[in-house]
Amino acid sequence: MLEIERLALHYPDFTAQYDLTVPAGALCAVIGPSGGGKTTLLHAIAGFERPSAGRLRFAGQDLLPLPPAARPASILFQDHNLFPHLTAAQNVALGLKPSLRLDAGERDRVAAALAEVGLADLAARFPAELSGGQRQRVAIARALLRGKPLMLLDEPFGALDPGLRRDMIGRVDALRRAHGLTVLMTLHTPEDAADTADLFAFVAEGRVQSCGHWTRLIAEDGPEPVRRFLGL
Amino acid sequence: MPGLQRPPAEIVLHPARLTALAILALVCGSLLGLAGAGSGAATPAPLGPYLQHIAASAAVQAGLSTLLSLPVGTALALALLRRRFPGRDLLLALLASAAVAPTIVIAFGIVAIYGRSGLLGTLSGSLGLQAPSIYGLHGIVLAHLVMNAPLVARALLHAFEREPGERLRLAAALGFSAVDCFRHLDWPLIRREAPALAVLVFLLCFTSFAIVLALGGGPANATLEVAIYEAVRFEADFTRAAALAALQLALCLGLAAGLAALTPPIRDEAAADRQASRPDAGALRGPDGFVLLLSIALIAPPLLSVASGLAALPLLASAEVARAAATSAVIAAGAGLAACLLALLLASAARSSPRGTRLPDLAAFAMLGLPPFAFVAGLYALLRGLADPALLGLGLVPLVNALMALPFAYRLLWPVLATGAARYGRLADSLGLQGWNRLVLVEWPALRGALGAAFAFAAALSLGDFGVVALFGGGDLTTLPYLLANRLGAYRTDEAGALALLLVLSAGCLAWLAQRWSRRHA
Amino acid sequence: MRLLNRRTGSLVAALTLLLLAAPAAAQDRPVLTVYTYTSLTGKYGPGGKVKDAFEAQCGCSLRWVASDDAGSLLARLKLEGETTMADLVLGLDMNLAAEARATGLFRPHGQDSTALNLPMPWHDDLLLPFDWGHLAFIYDSTRLAVPPQSLKQLVDDPKGPTLVLQDPRTSAPGLGFLLWMRAVYGEHADEAWTKLKPRIVTFTKGWSEAYGLFLKGEAEMVLSYATSPAYHLSVEKKTQYKAAAFAEGHYLHVELAGVVRTTRQPELAQRFLAFMLSDTFQALIPEGNWMMPAKRPAAGLPAAFTEVIRPEKTLLIAPETVRSQRRAFIDAWLAATTR
Repeated sequence: MLEIERLALHYPDFTAQYDLTVPAGALCAVIGPSGGGKTTLLHAIAGFERPSAGRLRFAGQDLLPLPPAARPASILFQDHNLFPHLTAAQNVALGLKPSLRLDAGERDRVAAALAEVGLADLAARFPAELSGGQRQRVAIARALLRGKPLMLLDEPFGALDPGLRRDMIGRVDALRRAHGLTVLMTLHTPEDAADTADLFAFVAEGRVQSCGHWTRLIAEDGPEPVRRFLGL
Repeated sequence: MPGLQRPPAEIVLHPARLTALAILALVCGSLLGLAGAGSGAATPAPLGPYLQHIAASAAVQAGLSTLLSLPVGTALALALLRRRFPGRDLLLALLASAAVAPTIVIAFGIVAIYGRSGLLGTLSGSLGLQAPSIYGLHGIVLAHLVMNAPLVARALLHAFEREPGERLRLAAALGFSAVDCFRHLDWPLIRREAPALAVLVFLLCFTSFAIVLALGGGPANATLEVAIYEAVRFEADFTRAAALAALQLALCLGLAAGLAALTPPIRDEAAADRQASRPDAGALRGPDGFVLLLSIALIAPPLLSVASGLAALPLLASAEVARAAATSAVIAAGAGLAACLLALLLASAARSSPRGTRLPDLAAFAMLGLPPFAFVAGLYALLRGLADPALLGLGLVPLVNALMALPFAYRLLWPVLATGAARYGRLADSLGLQGWNRLVLVEWPALRGALGAAFAFAAALSLGDFGVVALFGGGDLTTLPYLLANRLGAYRTDEAGALALLLVLSAGCLAWLAQRWSRRHA
Repeated sequence: MRLLNRRTGSLVAALTLLLLAAPAAAQDRPVLTVYTYTSLTGKYGPGGKVKDAFEAQCGCSLRWVASDDAGSLLARLKLEGETTMADLVLGLDMNLAAEARATGLFRPHGQDSTALNLPMPWHDDLLLPFDWGHLAFIYDSTRLAVPPQSLKQLVDDPKGPTLVLQDPRTSAPGLGFLLWMRAVYGEHADEAWTKLKPRIVTFTKGWSEAYGLFLKGEAEMVLSYATSPAYHLSVEKKTQYKAAAFAEGHYLHVELAGVVRTTRQPELAQRFLAFMLSDTFQALIPEGNWMMPAKRPAAGLPAAFTEVIRPEKTLLIAPETVRSQRRAFIDAWLAATTR
């Protein structure tokens, strides 16, 4: 279970304080207006931002003292998840050993991770030779390989067309069920995850304003700001 | 654009190509003008043992200077990238002024610290030790290191700061060690920028002149530039000067073309978002501090020695100095604008072929191979019939200064435009965004910072340049470096010291303002 | 693109106009254009006073056009050839005299050169001296108590003083010293250079760098002019800088003026040459250009100049020989000093 309590961050132009609980193995979609603090929430969990107060725990473990690499989380960005000078396989291998000195067993695991996202044939390609969706699948393969129980996805499929986007979310859903992952995913188009996400967190003005299942959020008596954001 | 054939007319008439052709035409025209002004008896410059010797010794000296400046500059850039400390901006400004200070200021600065009666010499003397002489190959290399390591550091820092922040966060999330960071974050970028920077530094040192003679200790340390100067100033043998200049130009362009082939193409890249912190910042605190201290100890003292001019500053309060400062400011502004414009036009080739194109590359580097005084003399021979020399000077001096700053300005702008092309090229093409609109709507946000830096560099270089004004200077075109030379020639070393201080301060201020400007608009 | 906003733009334009407008004044009077080098027209040079004094008597305006040094002066004149705007050239030197003659751009000066106070008689019909000075090694007597008494002593003593010299390829005094060595040692100059080499700190591009290095204490002696101590005495009131007198004699540096053949102001040019040898002009030379006046003014020399050493013998190699042999001399020097 991911527990966030009064997690506070301060910037010259922006202040945030988050409260959110996500059950283990759940897929939580984080939605809300641009600039509302969705990315900051994910970055705080991943360890890129330094909260000034509050609590952040996963599976009972306090994450706040840990550096990013030691946290039980993998993160995917919308862009730049891959290093352009490395092949797809090398980019995945970074998840095991940044030195890239792999033994035979490790190379097999890399190949298996690529196969799991359907890219077994493209292992030797450079990022520039892959499509947008393929690049994100390489990044997902790396996240799988790292075996971290918490997966943070920051607008990972925002640049893809709608069909592909749903397909990718479907893949993520399948992978989290197979590996028992807890997933937080920010989304620009909430309806893409309407059928998959267990939970929707609506973030605006640096706070989690509402949290609940899709059907509850879009219900007639659902929270007013969320309905306004969704244009209902 | 692979697979898409452009019509031939569009290739020929591309603004980058036209600008490159214009610059190369100007260069060739000036050489022909110079040759034509000779006696007519076109004696082909003998590539005798003397010229071979100085070309060889210049190559060794420039090679050593490059081999040292690149790693020191790189280490300095990495340390500055990882560290934030009070006075960092000041240090950056100081570095920028080291790269563009008048050569005589650097030479005197080196001597003030490392000379026989310099700070080190006096210190070691009081300890009963004999400090080694600064005169010789090592003195030249040290001076070139002081000037060029900051140049390398600045250029790399600009490139590093354009790296996307996601990559740094990713590195942190993946638990990169310092070695991993270097291997995956830094090295690909260094590998991409280093060949061009190496060529730039090598050519600057290969054609260096006053420093080579002042610190060389003997005539064995010379450059082709010395022979060209001799032909123009002592023999008034313009044919020989033109032949020698053509030889030096050919050597330099050949080198530039050869090494450019080593530059790997830009792959995907983008403008940075809010800067993430470096995952290796903690581990490398010690080494970075060491690099910073060492670099500061190496570069700062010769520059700071101009502070000795402080006491004489009141001597500068005169109408003549004010007028020279105004002239310098106008010329520097003109040179800065012209350098930005030319670099932008040349770099616009990156829009259509992000792999880099030969012709604009060569044009950008051309002025490094041609001695400014020979270039100006040749242009003057060509154009003097067309305009009043004073007017000609006012136009030519900023233009030549701009061309001298062009290699650096081009290095700053080209990657930004190439990145923009890689990212938005197809989008812009599909929307029919070309030329000016594309600049304003697509490229401007990423370009602002680089343009500010390019302008500051070119303007500061022009502020410190004396070589070009030499032919045109006088009553009508008195600049600050011109006054500096004038005061030195009239025994007034105190006033010259104050002028040197003023020049270094101005260059530093320009760099500092450019930094603030690019940061505010980042 | 807001790189240059409108206000900055108009400021630059206004400044540009201001700079261009300055020389356009006084168009009604005839203009005499004199090419010279920069230290003559600088703040401390005699140029400003010369202009005022000459304009007061000629009913014309005098326009200085200054180049970097004597070499660039000749280079510019040669580049321009017969289309030059110059009426007169002021500031060539003996090393360039033959080259200047060969351009065919000068006409006879028509002045009486017999009454000049030069250390040697003057016969040239094209170029006329306006000042001169002996080359000499300057030392700081607080650091070097006993200077060499002769060039031979300087060359032969392996523990002798260290020197900063100028490169003869790029500097007039540098070339002057090369010729000085030739005049004293003849065919054996190369061996002398080889002996001297270990004590030469460096050969700089020009006089300024060498003198600057000397003042910073980089060497015990510097090649300059016998008149240099007069500057330190007169302006800085420092007495420790002295010129070493050498028994073999000193090489002569003479600065020359000539009328350009294509001048449209031949009479004004003649008047200027006459003015140049007058007391008014010549009195400005010692403490303006720190050289000896070509014709001693009636009021005599300033006090500081009375202590300038007077070598008994003056050395000079004929300009034609310099022109034809310079390359060979320099090649021999290169071989001797890089050996």
